Amino acid sequence: MGIGIVTSIGIPRARDTDRLFLILCLVVPLSALILFFVYPLATVVVHSVTEPDGRIGFGNYATVISQPNFWRATANSMVMSLATTAVSLILGLIIAFATQRCRIAGRSLVLAAVALPLLAPSLVQGLGLIFLLGRNGLVTKALGVEFNIYGFWGLLIANSLYALPQAVLIIAAALRSADARVYEAAEVLGTSKLRQFFDITLPNIKFGLLSAGFIIFTVTITDFGNAATIGGDYAILATEIYGQVVGQMNFNLGAVVGIMLLLPTMLAFYLERVATQRQFGSGSDSAVPLVPGWSPARDIPMTVVAWIIALLPLITIGIVVYASFVWLWPYRFDLTVRHYAVKIAGGYEPLWTTVQISLLAAFAGAVMLFALGFALQRLPRSLVKPVYFLSLLPAAVPGLVLGLAYILTFNAASGPWQLLYGTAALLAICNMMHYWTQGFLTTMTGLRQVPAALEETAACLGAGLPRVMREVTGPLMAQTLISVFFFLFMRSMVTLSAVIFLVTASVSVASVSIMRLDEAGFTAQAAAFATCTMAVVIVAAGVMQLSLYLLGRRRR
Amino acid sequence: MQLEISNLRKAYGATVALDGVSFTATAPQFVCMLGPSGCGKTTLLRMIAGLVAPDSGRLLLNSEDLTRVPARRRGFGIVFQSYSLFPNMTVAENIGYGLRIRGDEAQRVRIRVLELLDVIRLSELADRYPWQLSGGQQQRVALARAIAAEPRLLLLDEPLSALDAKVRTDLRTEIRNLQQQLGLLTIMVTHDQEEALTLADRVVCMRQGSIAQAGSPEDLYRRPANRFVADFMGLSNMIPLETVQKFAAQLLEGHVPSDGATACVRPEDIVLVSGGAGATVKSVQFLGNISRVQVAWPGGELVAEQPGMAALAAGANVGLAFKPGGCAWVSAS
Ligand SMILES: Nc1ncnc2c1ncn2[C@@H]1O[C@H](COP(=O)(O)OP(=O)(O)OP(=O)(O)O)[C@@H](O)[C@H]1O
Ligand SMILES: [Mg+2]
Repeated sequence: MGIGIVTSIGIPRARDTDRLFLILCLVVPLSALILFFVYPLATVVVHSVTEPDGRIGFGNYATVISQPNFWRATANSMVMSLATTAVSLILGLIIAFATQRCRIAGRSLVLAAVALPLLAPSLVQGLGLIFLLGRNGLVTKALGVEFNIYGFWGLLIANSLYALPQAVLIIAAALRSADARVYEAAEVLGTSKLRQFFDITLPNIKFGLLSAGFIIFTVTITDFGNAATIGGDYAILATEIYGQVVGQMNFNLGAVVGIMLLLPTMLAFYLERVATQRQFGSGSDSAVPLVPGWSPARDIPMTVVAWIIALLPLITIGIVVYASFVWLWPYRFDLTVRHYAVKIAGGYEPLWTTVQISLLAAFAGAVMLFALGFALQRLPRSLVKPVYFLSLLPAAVPGLVLGLAYILTFNAASGPWQLLYGTAALLAICNMMHYWTQGFLTTMTGLRQVPAALEETAACLGAGLPRVMREVTGPLMAQTLISVFFFLFMRSMVTLSAVIFLVTASVSVASVSIMRLDEAGFTAQAAAFATCTMAVVIVAAGVMQLSLYLLGRRRR
Repeated sequence: MQLEISNLRKAYGATVALDGVSFTATAPQFVCMLGPSGCGKTTLLRMIAGLVAPDSGRLLLNSEDLTRVPARRRGFGIVFQSYSLFPNMTVAENIGYGLRIRGDEAQRVRIRVLELLDVIRLSELADRYPWQLSGGQQQRVALARAIAAEPRLLLLDEPLSALDAKVRTDLRTEIRNLQQQLGLLTIMVTHDQEEALTLADRVVCMRQGSIAQAGSPEDLYRRPANRFVADFMGLSNMIPLETVQKFAAQLLEGHVPSDGATACVRPEDIVLVSGGAGATVKSVQFLGNISRVQVAWPGGELVAEQPGMAALAAGANVGLAFKPGGCAWVSAS
């Protein structure tokens, strides 16, 4: 702001308030990123190279690498993630194709059913499978055979269901972006439907499939909730970190495993960005949308298959709700609410804490992301690029690693940072950082759709930047910001991996309560707690839809 | 009110959008900036508005240096091609927005808005939202909003381009009348040379980031400074000096052009005499108010225009004459 003194007749103070505002919009979110993401992550790295005697070296790595457990967990993680990727991709492709390219019965119900796992903590899939296929499961009892659901197969099913919604979302978007004219041309040439699928459809969405594949891989390899409930003896990297830290109190070895986990996720995330660019980068909206006609030979089988797939999450999650109301599973199926009197320390306190944490994370996140995006649109490219890159990084960091980074940083810290440890605020910040990237990308997309001419017209009419943001950009961004807010809220409500290390006796969250209840053998109470959590999330989703609808109506 | 621009320059990386642009304009002139796509018109207009900072050069208004003054402090009105109204505000709120920012009291804003609604003849639509208006109505509201706070300068970036032909000509007249009433120095970007010729007191014709010629419409049309301007400002016959010397020495009119010069003759300055000899009609196009006739002539092909329906048919032999004073000499470049 070099010259504070008057230059000719212009009023430099006015420019300075705009400048100051812009700097504020950049610096606040950027400091948050640096303090609560870069710095903790750097701390993990430092811990991973701090040897037991306090010296710097790669001794911890040597220790970890020499442990057969580590290699088994790594191999298991890879196998599990690849298997889940294959299953979810195939299921996702079927659902996406059925809902975008066929006329199936109950299309929106299928989509809603498949999206259900997004509304629940990931361990709910595990719980549901236990109620179905576990020792006392409905299916087990009905068939009289004993499965061992704990382990590879149980985890594979749970993970696949958990990753399915994201796969469907991406593949469906890729299918939607295809142009009807290509198919009309193929039709004229007499190409068979099957040839069309393999020669046109699949090549057209190949980068979408790749992108979905990398997302599934990342989601699976970083997930902790499913593994904790149904993984049994099938050790994976996520449970390995948890074991090192919570079981053996060996933070430095945990840090090493965390960094090892970071490598595949970073790579997968990078490849996902590349694939997304290739699939959606051009973003030409001029394509003629494809409206499928009714074709019984295709649509009737597709309806059946789609519904079978959709029933999997529906039943798995539904059974948890049902089990929460059953007197004594699996012996006495009278309905009761007795399990809703949860016997864990603190009762429902953690649920309310979670709501507060989620509101805080959502509010702070939406505000910061809006401010950051607003600033980035007005700053020189040389500054924008590194900030943009930094904002993409959180998506590549597994929740457990972030959580570990937070204890290493804020528990051990001296000075003011220590005050944050054990507070709901720190949990909120952790969640905000955990889901920063998705919120950031949504915000930037929204901002790109705000016509620059409007902001410039306002400037010419005399509006300063704060005013432009409040009265021009803000109203136009309302829908995007609402989406970002509720996305952050809903994710924060159900996340487990990042916060598991950060909860204390007095400040805990819903998903941790569910896990503790389950570990303690109070499965029905865990189900009751999970049901309450899902209820909150479903209400939030409803409020979001309603506000988006009302906003859309006001504008149209 | 006098706007003085000197030596403005702007580069985006390797592309030089503006290079050494200078001109002066005084109220109540209507200035049109004209030129092919990508020549820097918008960049120059946005620079005058304060939305783009120049790399070098100066911008003075009544000898007040505005070069480093931000857009919000310049007090100019601006209208863009499209998306120009705030979608979350009604017509009246849009028009009054600048006044509210300025801090005028509500009553005054209301009176001024009513006044402007009357000027643009949209009083009955005051409470509508932009999406409930036609394109032409939207641009009229945008215009009212731009002049509401009595701007020192009105800037228009192709305000009519998104509209259909009829609305465009109507609105064009309206803008001109309003500008005359207010005595407002106005700068408008357009890529339509007819629009520029009919509206402007001064035309600034641009080419690749610099000014090819600035002057009255008459100047640019009758006395183009170079071949580019001659070509750009409507149809013209470009006849090389050697051809002129061989076949149309009368065009020289005692003038001795420099080597490599080209004669620029407008189609309406060529007279065709039916029944004469010397040229052959190749084709005739009837365009409503005029007819355009393509003729072959020993010096090459020429285009001539005649008022009304031409009584000529393809293949006819005609005599050819040039109206005196109708030829401009331009240098090769
Ligand atoms: N923000 C920018 N970044 C990079 N290059 C730009 C930018 N704005 C303009 N340019 C370049 O500067 C040159 C002039 O652009 P400008 O928009 O002023 O042209 P124009 O005369 O208004 O064209 P049109 O008639 O198509 O609107 C073009 O080559 C353009 O690509
Ligand atoms: Mg332009």
